[in-house]
Amino acid sequence: MSTSPIATVETPHSEFTTTPDVTVIVPITTPKAEFEQVVAAFGRELDRLGRTWECILVFDGIKVATRELSAALQVKSTGRIGTIALHRSFGESVCLSSAFENSNGELILTLPQYVQIDPHDLARLFETLDNGADMATTRRYPRVDSRLNQAQSSMFNWVVRLVTGANFRDLNSTTRLMRREVLEQMTIYGSMYRYLPATAYRQGFRVEEVPVRHLAEWGGASVFGPGVYMRRALDVVGLMFLSRFTHKPLRFFGALGGAAILLGALLIGVQVLQWALSDGGYGLFQRAPFQFGVLLVVLGSQTIGFGLVGEIIIYTQARNLREYRIEKVYE
Amino acid sequence: MPRADIDLSLVVPVFDEEENLPVLHAEIVQHVGGLGLDWEVVYVDDRSRDQSFEVLMQLRAHDPHVRIVRFRRNFGQTPAMAAGFEVSRGRVVVTLDADLQNDPADIPRLVAELRKGFDVVVGWRKNRQDGLWLRKVPSRIANRLIARITGADVHDTGCTLKAFRRELIENLPIYADQHRFLPVLALASGARIAELPVNHRPRIHGVSKYGLGRAFRVVLDLLTMKMLSTFSRSPLTYFALLASPFVLLPVVYLLISAWGFGGVEFRSSSWGQAALLTFMLVSMAGVYFLMLGLLAELVVKVSGRPLDPLVQRVNP
Repeated sequence: MSTSPIATVETPHSEFTTTPDVTVIVPITTPKAEFEQVVAAFGRELDRLGRTWECILVFDGIKVATRELSAALQVKSTGRIGTIALHRSFGESVCLSSAFENSNGELILTLPQYVQIDPHDLARLFETLDNGADMATTRRYPRVDSRLNQAQSSMFNWVVRLVTGANFRDLNSTTRLMRREVLEQMTIYGSMYRYLPATAYRQGFRVEEVPVRHLAEWGGASVFGPGVYMRRALDVVGLMFLSRFTHKPLRFFGALGGAAILLGALLIGVQVLQWALSDGGYGLFQRAPFQFGVLLVVLGSQTIGFGLVGEIIIYTQARNLREYRIEKVYE
Repeated sequence: MPRADIDLSLVVPVFDEEENLPVLHAEIVQHVGGLGLDWEVVYVDDRSRDQSFEVLMQLRAHDPHVRIVRFRRNFGQTPAMAAGFEVSRGRVVVTLDADLQNDPADIPRLVAELRKGFDVVVGWRKNRQDGLWLRKVPSRIANRLIARITGADVHDTGCTLKAFRRELIENLPIYADQHRFLPVLALASGARIAELPVNHRPRIHGVSKYGLGRAFRVVLDLLTMKMLSTFSRSPLTYFALLASPFVLLPVVYLLISAWGFGGVEFRSSSWGQAALLTFMLVSMAGVYFLMLGLLAELVVKVSGRPLDPLVQRVNP
């Protein structure tokens, strides 16, 4: 868990006496954010759909000038818009969780900081939730950004699909509509924002992906830097571990450790055999493969040890880790 | 969990069993209905892809004993069982498969056996009606291993037909593929286990939902079960046991060489020095194991719940 950020919070002082249908949350990570257009375009669409709404703009360590603009926006929109200013950059996950704490809507809609998709597609997201889904995530299709970006993006999504077993084709599209309950039951931290649909799916929520019209994409064609690839790779490893092995850590550590021990034992065995058959003119311990074998056995058994500690953690916490989610009990 | 206020709950995980359900329910009513008990049957629909849920709703419309739990999506057999336990209200809970391979006629016998003063009664499919090589042989090997290693003398841990006393299941964590190991964990908590041969019928409708790959995982789970059931009170002991070969091996070897068998001269010969380095590496593993053991102790302490669940005995 991250430390809770110090923030300046101005919640929407809603004119509605009842709670609004939707809380729109927009994390803003750059001063160039076009949140005015976002609020205008999506607000109009929400009005058209007959949904009452409030909006929370979260400034992720962005300086004052933009915030004054949003204060002006707040006056214009008769108190529908609130702002949260994090005093330094914490990332989108923290933006989401701090906005969620201050939200009133029964549904939560997250939007990127510029008009990325066609607002008219919102209707389809609501429809999906009305049909019983807990979260509707979006897939930008057909995409308007460069082929290079699309290729990288589709590769990334393929790996995540492979690893989590959740069938999503566009995790980088952050326009998502979800029930309050989803966020209430999840711990949002680190890079969770991006993987929200996959994590929600693993936690037993019904998540559906809706194709939407892609209007614009920020950032030109570029190969993502090695840092980005590194971070994504770590994300994927963490995601794989948590989604596949949360309840059976030993299966993960056991497979890794078992392989290391087997390989080590093989190396040691071969070396001992060679040594026994030779005239004994050298010490067994001097051979690098032998020492490497010993190292592997030590490493492997340690890995299994970690798995066992993991099992104890899960066993003692099993009551808090519910694996299933009941839709309804018919008495 | 809700208070136990009726005599008997049946928990039936259901996944794609539309053809079997009406037959199963008729049999249940026939055999359980006449016992004079206050009973219910909890069907857990693991989000079947066929019409199972609709069939269940029809059964419910005609029989007030039926309760249905519907999952949001498919989760698997053990979670279905856990959900059934959570919702059930019976002082005695019997689990059975929906595929008709378990015979509801055995339920009264299981319950009667439980009332003799046991906490769990495990069904034993003595004449198993399954494929020999794909199902029977792996299962037999797994069961022998489980019995041998954990000391739970049960022939058939994989049989779904089991009867539990409520106090017991409320104390056991049920997750992952754990349901197979419930007797083992129950034994560790001091439960009295009985075994009863039950009828096993060949599958008529639908297809079997198990594969061979499962057996392999069971073996890995065995290590966990051994640890959890035997060393639950003090994990440090278990880890110390794991550490011992890593500490003892170098020590024994050094003693032997000191005696003059190997004639290793650690100060001068380069191979003696290499050996010393290797020993240090190996004994380091022992130290790490002890540290992991301490970490495990910490986890158990923080959890506030001793790993060894206490079974309250209530006279039948």
